[in-house]
Amino acid sequence: MSAHLSSEQISKWIAGDRTPDADRHLQECIQCSSEIARLKTVLAEFRSSVVAWSALQKNAEAPERWAISKPRRKFVHSILHWRLAAATLVVIAIVLTGKNISDRHRKAAEFQADVQLWEEVNAQISRPVPASMEPLMNLIAWDQESGNK
Amino acid sequence: MHETVESTRAELQDFEELVRLQWSCIYRFILVSVRNADSAQALTQDCFLRAYSKRETFRGEASAKTWLMKIAINLVRDFCRSRRHQFWKRLGNSGATLGEVGDYLPGAEISPEDKASINEQVQMIWQASKSLPDKQKTVFLLRFVEDMDILEIADATGMKEGTVKVHLFRAVHTIRERLGRMK
Repeated sequence: MSAHLSSEQISKWIAGDRTPDADRHLQECIQCSSEIARLKTVLAEFRSSVVAWSALQKNAEAPERWAISKPRRKFVHSILHWRLAAATLVVIAIVLTGKNISDRHRKAAEFQADVQLWEEVNAQISRPVPASMEPLMNLIAWDQESGNK
Repeated sequence: MHETVESTRAELQDFEELVRLQWSCIYRFILVSVRNADSAQALTQDCFLRAYSKRETFRGEASAKTWLMKIAINLVRDFCRSRRHQFWKRLGNSGATLGEVGDYLPGAEISPEDKASINEQVQMIWQASKSLPDKQKTVFLLRFVEDMDILEIADATGMKEGTVKVHLFRAVHTIRERLGRMK
Protein backbone atom coordinates (compact mmCIF):
# COMPACT_ATOMS: atom_id res chain seq x y z
CA MET A 1 0.00 0.00 0.00
CA SER A 2 1.24 3.47 -0.89
CA ALA A 3 1.78 6.23 1.72
CA HIS A 4 -1.26 7.99 3.16
CA LEU A 5 -2.99 10.68 1.17
CA SER A 6 -1.68 14.15 1.88
CA SER A 7 -3.91 16.85 3.35
CA GLU A 8 -4.14 18.48 -0.10
CA GLN A 9 -5.10 15.18 -1.74
CA ILE A 10 -7.87 14.66 0.80
CA SER A 11 -9.15 18.21 0.24
CA LYS A 12 -9.04 17.65 -3.53
CA TRP A 13 -10.96 14.41 -3.20
CA ILE A 14 -13.64 16.11 -1.09
CA ALA A 15 -13.77 18.98 -3.62
CA GLY A 16 -14.53 16.46 -6.37
CA ASP A 17 -11.10 16.36 -8.00
CA ARG A 18 -10.61 12.59 -7.71
CA THR A 19 -7.89 10.47 -9.25
CA PRO A 20 -7.93 6.68 -9.75
CA ASP A 21 -4.84 6.42 -7.50
CA ALA A 22 -6.58 8.23 -4.65
CA ASP A 23 -9.72 6.10 -5.11
CA ARG A 24 -7.63 2.93 -5.00
CA HIS A 25 -5.81 4.09 -1.89
CA LEU A 26 -9.05 4.90 -0.10
CA GLN A 27 -10.32 1.38 -0.77
CA GLU A 28 -7.31 -0.05 1.07
CA CYS A 29 -6.45 2.54 3.75
CA ILE A 30 -8.74 2.64 6.78
CA GLN A 31 -7.10 5.76 8.21
CA CYS A 32 -7.56 7.87 5.06
CA SER A 33 -11.04 6.52 4.33
CA SER A 34 -12.15 7.24 7.91
CA GLU A 35 -10.82 10.81 7.62
CA ILE A 36 -12.83 11.22 4.39
CA ALA A 37 -15.90 9.69 6.05
CA ARG A 38 -15.53 12.03 9.03
CA LEU A 39 -15.34 15.06 6.75
CA LYS A 40 -18.31 13.91 4.72
CA THR A 41 -20.33 13.46 7.91
CA VAL A 42 -19.45 16.92 9.22
CA LEU A 43 -20.25 18.54 5.86
CA ALA A 44 -23.56 16.65 5.68
CA GLU A 45 -24.41 17.80 9.21
CA PHE A 46 -23.45 21.33 8.21
CA ARG A 47 -25.86 21.14 5.28
CA SER A 48 -28.69 19.72 7.42
CA SER A 49 -28.17 22.42 10.04
CA VAL A 50 -28.17 25.23 7.49
CA VAL A 51 -31.27 23.85 5.76
CA ALA A 52 -33.12 23.46 9.09
CA TRP A 53 -31.99 26.88 10.33
CA SER A 54 -32.89 28.60 7.06
CA ALA A 55 -36.34 26.97 6.97
CA LEU A 56 -37.14 28.52 10.34
CA GLN A 57 -36.22 32.04 9.28
CA LYS A 58 -38.93 34.51 8.42
CA ASN A 59 -39.77 34.63 4.71
CA ALA A 60 -38.25 31.19 4.16
CA GLU A 61 -41.47 30.09 2.49
CA ALA A 62 -42.66 31.42 -0.84
CA PRO A 63 -45.21 34.22 -0.49
CA GLU A 64 -48.83 33.02 -0.48
CA ARG A 65 -49.60 35.04 -3.54
CA TRP A 66 -47.08 35.85 -6.21
CA ALA A 67 -49.05 38.08 -8.48
CA ILE A 68 -47.16 39.95 -11.12
CA SER A 69 -49.23 42.05 -13.43
CA LYS A 70 -48.24 41.51 -17.01
CA PRO A 71 -45.89 44.28 -18.11
CA ARG A 72 -47.68 46.58 -20.54
CA ARG A 73 -45.97 47.79 -23.62
CA LYS A 74 -44.20 51.11 -23.50
CA PHE A 75 -46.41 52.39 -26.31
CA VAL A 76 -49.55 51.76 -24.27
CA HIS A 77 -47.86 53.38 -21.30
CA SER A 78 -47.02 56.49 -23.31
CA ILE A 79 -50.60 56.79 -24.62
CA LEU A 80 -51.91 56.53 -21.09
CA HIS A 81 -49.44 59.13 -19.89
CA TRP A 82 -50.45 61.56 -22.67
CA ARG A 83 -54.14 61.03 -21.94
CA LEU A 84 -53.59 61.64 -18.26
CA ALA A 85 -51.60 64.81 -18.97
CA ALA A 86 -54.29 66.09 -21.38
CA ALA A 87 -57.06 65.37 -18.86
CA THR A 88 -55.10 67.22 -16.16
CA LEU A 89 -54.68 70.25 -18.47
CA VAL A 90 -58.40 70.27 -19.28
CA VAL A 91 -59.30 70.18 -15.58
CA ILE A 92 -56.89 73.03 -14.82
CA ALA A 93 -58.33 75.09 -17.73
CA ILE A 94 -61.89 74.49 -16.54
CA VAL A 95 -61.02 75.52 -12.99
CA LEU A 96 -59.23 78.67 -14.16
CA THR A 97 -62.02 79.66 -16.59
CA GLY A 98 -64.67 79.07 -13.93
CA LYS A 99 -62.76 81.24 -11.50
CA ASN A 100 -62.45 83.97 -14.15
CA ILE A 101 -66.17 83.94 -14.88
CA SER A 102 -67.13 84.09 -11.22
CA ASP A 103 -64.69 86.98 -10.73
CA ARG A 104 -66.32 88.88 -13.60
CA HIS A 105 -69.81 88.26 -12.16
CA ARG A 106 -68.69 89.46 -8.77
CA LYS A 107 -67.17 92.65 -10.22
CA ALA A 108 -70.31 93.37 -12.30
CA ALA A 109 -72.54 92.96 -9.22
CA GLU A 110 -70.28 95.29 -7.20
CA PHE A 111 -70.44 97.88 -10.02
CA GLN A 112 -74.22 97.60 -10.18
CA ALA A 113 -74.47 98.16 -6.42
CA ASP A 114 -72.21 101.19 -6.69
CA VAL A 115 -74.33 102.69 -9.47
CA GLN A 116 -77.51 102.12 -7.46
CA LEU A 117 -76.01 103.76 -4.39
CA TRP A 118 -74.82 106.69 -6.51
CA GLU A 119 -78.31 107.16 -7.93
CA GLU A 120 -79.83 107.06 -4.45
CA VAL A 121 -77.34 109.65 -3.20
CA ASN A 122 -78.08 111.83 -6.22
CA ALA A 123 -81.79 111.55 -5.63
CA GLN A 124 -81.36 112.58 -1.98
CA ILE A 125 -79.17 115.55 -2.88
CA SER A 126 -81.41 116.80 -5.69
CA ARG A 127 -84.59 116.95 -3.50
CA PRO A 128 -85.89 120.54 -3.00
CA VAL A 129 -86.90 119.78 0.62
CA PRO A 130 -85.94 117.01 3.06
CA ALA A 131 -87.91 113.82 2.73
CA SER A 132 -89.76 114.44 6.08
CA MET A 133 -91.20 117.69 4.71
CA GLU A 134 -92.37 116.28 1.42
CA PRO A 135 -96.05 115.68 2.71
CA LEU A 136 -96.28 119.39 3.67
CA MET A 137 -94.98 120.38 0.26
CA ASN A 138 -97.72 118.22 -1.26
CA LEU A 139 -100.35 120.10 0.77
CA ILE A 140 -98.94 123.45 -0.33
CA ALA A 141 -98.98 122.33 -3.93
CA TRP A 142 -102.60 121.17 -3.53
CA ASP A 143 -103.60 124.56 -2.00
CA GLN A 144 -101.96 126.43 -4.86
CA GLU A 145 -103.71 124.26 -7.42
CA SER A 146 -107.15 124.82 -5.79
CA GLY A 147 -106.48 128.66 -5.41
CA ASN A 148 -105.69 128.87 -9.07
CA LYS A 149 -108.95 127.30 -9.93
CA MET B 1 -31.05 18.53 -25.20
CA HIS B 2 -34.20 19.58 -27.04
CA GLU B 3 -36.34 17.85 -24.39
CA THR B 4 -34.45 19.65 -21.60
CA VAL B 5 -35.03 22.99 -23.26
CA GLU B 6 -38.73 22.23 -23.70
CA SER B 7 -39.17 21.03 -20.11
CA THR B 8 -37.35 24.06 -18.73
CA ARG B 9 -39.50 26.39 -20.82
CA ALA B 10 -42.58 24.56 -19.56
CA GLU B 11 -41.34 25.14 -16.00
CA LEU B 12 -41.12 28.85 -16.71
CA GLN B 13 -44.64 29.01 -18.11
CA ASP B 14 -46.14 28.31 -14.70
CA PHE B 15 -44.15 30.95 -12.92
CA GLU B 16 -46.14 30.82 -9.69
CA GLU B 17 -45.36 27.12 -9.37
CA LEU B 18 -41.68 27.82 -10.06
CA VAL B 19 -41.65 30.41 -7.27
CA ARG B 20 -43.33 27.95 -4.91
CA LEU B 21 -40.80 25.21 -5.71
CA GLN B 22 -37.59 27.23 -5.81
CA TRP B 23 -38.18 30.05 -3.33
CA SER B 24 -36.79 28.29 -0.26
CA CYS B 25 -33.60 27.14 -1.97
CA ILE B 26 -32.87 30.54 -3.55
CA TYR B 27 -33.70 32.29 -0.27
CA ARG B 28 -31.43 29.89 1.63
CA PHE B 29 -28.47 30.44 -0.69
CA ILE B 30 -28.87 34.22 -0.50
CA LEU B 31 -29.42 34.18 3.26
CA VAL B 32 -26.29 32.12 3.89
CA SER B 33 -24.32 34.35 1.52
CA VAL B 34 -25.36 37.73 2.93
CA ARG B 35 -26.36 36.56 6.45
CA ASN B 36 -29.09 39.13 6.82
CA ALA B 37 -32.72 37.99 6.76
CA ASP B 38 -34.20 41.27 5.49
CA SER B 39 -31.67 41.67 2.70
CA ALA B 40 -32.10 38.00 1.79
CA GLN B 41 -35.84 38.48 1.40
CA ALA B 42 -35.42 41.58 -0.75
CA LEU B 43 -32.78 39.91 -2.94
CA THR B 44 -34.89 36.76 -3.34
CA GLN B 45 -37.80 38.86 -4.54
CA ASP B 46 -35.48 40.71 -6.92
CA CYS B 47 -34.21 37.39 -8.21
CA PHE B 48 -37.69 36.14 -9.13
CA LEU B 49 -38.71 39.49 -10.58
CA ARG B 50 -35.65 39.51 -12.82
CA ALA B 51 -36.31 35.93 -13.82
CA TYR B 52 -39.91 36.82 -14.64
CA SER B 53 -38.98 39.81 -16.75
CA LYS B 54 -36.26 37.88 -18.60
CA ARG B 55 -38.08 34.59 -19.00
CA GLU B 56 -38.70 35.22 -22.70
CA THR B 57 -34.98 35.48 -23.36
CA PHE B 58 -34.11 32.32 -21.40
CA ARG B 59 -32.65 29.77 -23.80
CA GLY B 60 -33.29 26.77 -21.57
CA GLU B 61 -29.77 25.35 -21.76
CA ALA B 62 -29.64 24.82 -17.99
CA SER B 63 -32.33 23.87 -15.49
CA ALA B 64 -34.60 26.57 -14.11
CA LYS B 65 -32.95 26.17 -10.71
CA THR B 66 -29.46 26.71 -12.16
CA TRP B 67 -30.71 29.74 -14.09
CA LEU B 68 -32.32 31.23 -10.96
CA MET B 69 -29.15 30.51 -9.02
CA LYS B 70 -27.13 32.37 -11.64
CA ILE B 71 -29.33 35.45 -11.15
CA ALA B 72 -29.07 35.06 -7.36
CA ILE B 73 -25.25 34.85 -7.51
CA ASN B 74 -25.09 38.10 -9.50
CA LEU B 75 -27.46 39.83 -7.09
CA VAL B 76 -25.44 38.66 -4.08
CA ARG B 77 -22.21 39.83 -5.74
CA ASP B 78 -23.65 43.28 -6.44
CA PHE B 79 -25.10 43.48 -2.95
CA CYS B 80 -21.79 42.55 -1.30
CA ARG B 81 -20.08 45.33 -3.24
CA SER B 82 -22.71 47.84 -2.17
CA ARG B 83 -21.86 50.53 0.36
CA ARG B 84 -24.70 49.46 2.61
CA HIS B 85 -23.33 45.96 3.01
CA GLN B 86 -19.78 47.24 3.46
CA PHE B 87 -21.02 49.52 6.22
CA TRP B 88 -22.57 46.68 8.21
CA LYS B 89 -19.57 44.48 7.53
CA ARG B 90 -17.21 47.12 8.93
CA LEU B 91 -19.33 47.32 12.04
CA GLY B 92 -19.13 43.55 12.34
CA ASN B 93 -22.88 43.40 12.39
CA SER B 94 -24.89 41.43 9.87
CA GLY B 95 -28.03 43.44 10.51
CA ALA B 96 -30.45 40.81 11.68
CA THR B 97 -29.89 38.32 14.48
CA LEU B 98 -29.55 34.95 12.89
CA GLY B 99 -28.97 32.58 15.78
CA GLU B 100 -26.53 29.72 15.88
CA VAL B 101 -26.64 27.27 13.02
CA GLY B 102 -25.32 24.43 15.17
CA ASP B 103 -28.43 24.64 17.35
CA TYR B 104 -30.47 23.31 14.44
CA LEU B 105 -28.66 19.99 14.21
CA PRO B 106 -31.23 17.35 13.34
CA GLY B 107 -31.00 13.72 14.45
CA ALA B 108 -31.74 12.92 18.05
CA GLU B 109 -30.26 9.41 17.78
CA ILE B 110 -26.64 10.47 18.36
CA SER B 111 -25.18 10.74 21.86
CA PRO B 112 -25.03 14.17 23.55
CA GLU B 113 -21.21 14.07 23.42
CA ASP B 114 -21.15 13.36 19.68
CA LYS B 115 -23.81 15.99 19.13
CA ALA B 116 -21.75 18.57 21.02
CA SER B 117 -18.66 17.69 19.01
CA ILE B 118 -20.48 17.87 15.66
CA ASN B 119 -22.18 21.07 16.76
CA GLU B 120 -18.78 22.60 17.44
CA GLN B 121 -17.47 21.53 14.03
CA VAL B 122 -20.59 22.81 12.26
CA GLN B 123 -20.15 26.15 13.99
CA MET B 124 -16.54 26.21 12.90
CA ILE B 125 -17.50 25.57 9.25
CA TRP B 126 -20.17 28.28 9.53
CA GLN B 127 -17.65 30.82 10.80
CA ALA B 128 -14.91 29.74 8.39
CA SER B 129 -17.20 29.88 5.36
CA LYS B 130 -18.10 33.45 6.27
CA SER B 131 -14.51 34.62 5.91
CA LEU B 132 -13.76 32.78 2.66
CA PRO B 133 -13.11 34.90 -0.46
CA ASP B 134 -16.35 35.51 -2.40
CA LYS B 135 -15.80 33.00 -5.21
CA GLN B 136 -14.67 30.27 -2.84
CA LYS B 137 -17.62 30.94 -0.57
CA THR B 138 -20.08 30.79 -3.47
CA VAL B 139 -18.82 27.47 -4.84
CA PHE B 140 -18.54 26.02 -1.33
CA LEU B 141 -22.16 26.92 -0.50
CA LEU B 142 -23.45 25.70 -3.85
CA ARG B 143 -21.64 22.38 -3.43
CA PHE B 144 -22.14 21.66 0.25
CA VAL B 145 -25.39 23.46 1.08
CA GLU B 146 -27.28 23.40 -2.21
CA ASP B 147 -25.85 20.00 -3.16
CA MET B 148 -25.14 21.04 -6.75
CA ASP B 149 -22.58 19.11 -8.76
CA ILE B 150 -19.48 20.65 -10.35
CA LEU B 151 -21.09 21.07 -13.79
CA GLU B 152 -24.17 22.78 -12.37
CA ILE B 153 -21.92 25.10 -10.33
CA ALA B 154 -19.93 25.88 -13.47
CA ASP B 155 -23.18 26.72 -15.30
CA ALA B 156 -24.48 28.89 -12.48
CA THR B 157 -21.26 30.78 -11.85
CA GLY B 158 -20.09 30.99 -15.45
CA MET B 159 -16.73 29.48 -14.45
CA LYS B 160 -14.96 26.63 -16.16
CA GLU B 161 -15.21 23.22 -14.52
CA GLY B 162 -11.50 23.28 -13.60
CA THR B 163 -11.82 26.74 -12.04
CA VAL B 164 -14.74 25.57 -9.92
CA LYS B 165 -12.65 22.64 -8.68
CA VAL B 166 -9.74 24.93 -7.80
CA HIS B 167 -11.96 27.32 -5.81
CA LEU B 168 -13.69 24.41 -4.12
CA PHE B 169 -10.37 22.77 -3.23
CA ARG B 170 -9.09 26.01 -1.67
CA ALA B 171 -12.31 26.48 0.29
CA VAL B 172 -12.32 22.90 1.57
CA HIS B 173 -8.64 23.08 2.44
CA THR B 174 -9.08 26.32 4.42
CA ILE B 175 -12.02 24.86 6.30
CA ARG B 176 -10.16 21.60 7.03
CA GLU B 177 -7.24 23.59 8.38
CA ARG B 178 -9.59 25.43 10.74
CA LEU B 179 -11.18 22.14 11.79
CA GLY B 180 -7.70 20.66 12.28
CA ARG B 181 -6.73 23.54 14.55
CA MET B 182 -9.84 22.93 16.60
CA LYS B 183 -8.95 19.29 17.35
